[in-house]
Amino acid sequence: MTLRNLGFAALAVLFLATALVPLSGNGYILSLFYISLLFTGLAYGWNIISGYAGYLSFGQITFFGIGAYFVAIGTTQFHAQWWLCALAGGVFCALLAVPMGYLMLRLQGAFFALGMLGLGQSLRIATDVIPYTGGAEGIYLPPGANAVVVYYWTFAILVLAILLTAWIDRSAFGLRLRALREDERAAGTLGVDTTSTKVRAFILSAIVPALLGGGYAWYLTYVEPSSIYSTEIELQTVAMAILGGMGTLWGPLVGGILMSQISEALSTKFPQTHLMIFGALIVVLLIALPRGIVPAVNDWLARRKSSAKARPQEAVT
Amino acid sequence: MQLGLVVQLVINGLLLGGVFALAALGLNVIFGVTRIVNLAHGQIIILTALTCATVFQRFNITPIEALPVALLGGAILGIVIERTLLQRLPEHAQSREWTSLLITFGVSYFLIGLSLAIFSGDFRSVAYLTDSWRLASVDFPKAQVLAFTLAILIAGVLGLFLRSTKVGRALRAASQNLDGARVCGIDISRMRTLSFALGCSIAAASGALLSMIYAYNPDTGSQFTLIAFSVVVLGGLGSYAGAIVGALLLGLAVSFVGFYGNTHLGSMMPYVVFILVLLFRPSGILGKPATT
Repeated sequence: MTLRNLGFAALAVLFLATALVPLSGNGYILSLFYISLLFTGLAYGWNIISGYAGYLSFGQITFFGIGAYFVAIGTTQFHAQWWLCALAGGVFCALLAVPMGYLMLRLQGAFFALGMLGLGQSLRIATDVIPYTGGAEGIYLPPGANAVVVYYWTFAILVLAILLTAWIDRSAFGLRLRALREDERAAGTLGVDTTSTKVRAFILSAIVPALLGGGYAWYLTYVEPSSIYSTEIELQTVAMAILGGMGTLWGPLVGGILMSQISEALSTKFPQTHLMIFGALIVVLLIALPRGIVPAVNDWLARRKSSAKARPQEAVT
Repeated sequence: MQLGLVVQLVINGLLLGGVFALAALGLNVIFGVTRIVNLAHGQIIILTALTCATVFQRFNITPIEALPVALLGGAILGIVIERTLLQRLPEHAQSREWTSLLITFGVSYFLIGLSLAIFSGDFRSVAYLTDSWRLASVDFPKAQVLAFTLAILIAGVLGLFLRSTKVGRALRAASQNLDGARVCGIDISRMRTLSFALGCSIAAASGALLSMIYAYNPDTGSQFTLIAFSVVVLGGLGSYAGAIVGALLLGLAVSFVGFYGNTHLGSMMPYVVFILVLLFRPSGILGKPATT
């Protein structure tokens, strides 16, 4: 139990530290923390559909991009408040995820993974053709962006995403998701409405990146297809969730904290080979630690506990 | 006049489709035996194409001359990937699929990063055989015709190998029924390595051929994974004849949409086809369930 309390204490310290960062007034530290929060939030969004429901998606960047463009177009064309646009982007992606989910989630395994990958890529190409998106030249957002506001926006969404995951982790809904991840047909025969369950997970998984994308556009004050529908963002999100542990409550947080440190160190030291090292890291992780850090630590704790129980018995015999 | 244009577009589409077919065959061979969809397929194609472009520029070695080396290099790369990364995948069908997807996803980014580090992000193309033969007022671009012919030739050799050699038959047996093949004394682990060697070798060959007829940079890799996958989806997983028909259809689609719409829409076609097949023939795209 003390270990559990220690965990909560660490979490509280982390929460407070993150909340107080903007008070330092140091722009570099703020941007560092902002990027960590952003990616960890994205990893939580990805974790719902891919970790809990077991549908590997390499295209959640689609929703991130739509959210970003909602803010870019809304603030420049309609002179609306950016956070209103971001919320609208979230609502739009939630609605979009319904038909898209019904369509895409009929696919399984590689079909779904590649279907989503193609969706993100196609949208990046389509951005050049769709009016009002500024095409390849992109859109400059109106001045007045405030990094601190975006920081708290992202922080709030991350906290909400963690709470949402905590609920999923304990609820009957989460149990249904995990059941269909393990064996969709068996879950169906046991009375799980598999289609509506996965579509719901897909919707939740779409809202989180959409809201984060809206903030990101306002933070960058400039959007263009290749930096918004960025394969690098997608890659890093997936890598974080794998490192921490897919389908676990704390996996994306652990993976997010570690990976953003690694990423920061890499991109300053090896800007050229950044992608290469990340790709290799994913591969090595999957071979060395296939389930991620959190399940490995849980196993270790469970083993320690059981051996602690077993020891007195050994002494007697 | 209008008819001439349509004929020209058909010719262009079919010629392009031949190379798509070869790219898809590589993906199909690997999937058939290992049940792994190699997400790094397009990156292998692009890495080879970029290498061909550089070698042509520096040493004036044409992609045709580089083709044997590409075939060999691809095979070695395939063996290395399979032996070091994919040999110890769990046998349980579902976790096998997840892990293999994530690993090949990682490999694909490794290769993108590698290509970026070596070749930078510039678009390249090989300006070799840029003129055309003219036959009854229809242009046959020499590079395209040559690429098409070689692609069909390689596909034909592969077909012969699979059909009439002992190893080829063992490979087909392994893709039809894994347990049955094992009972017959076929070394499944070796077949998996062989399928990866063949698949990556073919990917590299199609990269060498594409280097003459396409413009590419390291980022276009996943586009080719999608092209290959769409072809396979269109034709039916595991079906070689289907893949060729699918590739020719896709080549036509890219050619026509690219001309009447614009090139952006043209490069979106593989994905549109993928979605359309999914909408109208969902039973077809699910292919054979991976129960073997």
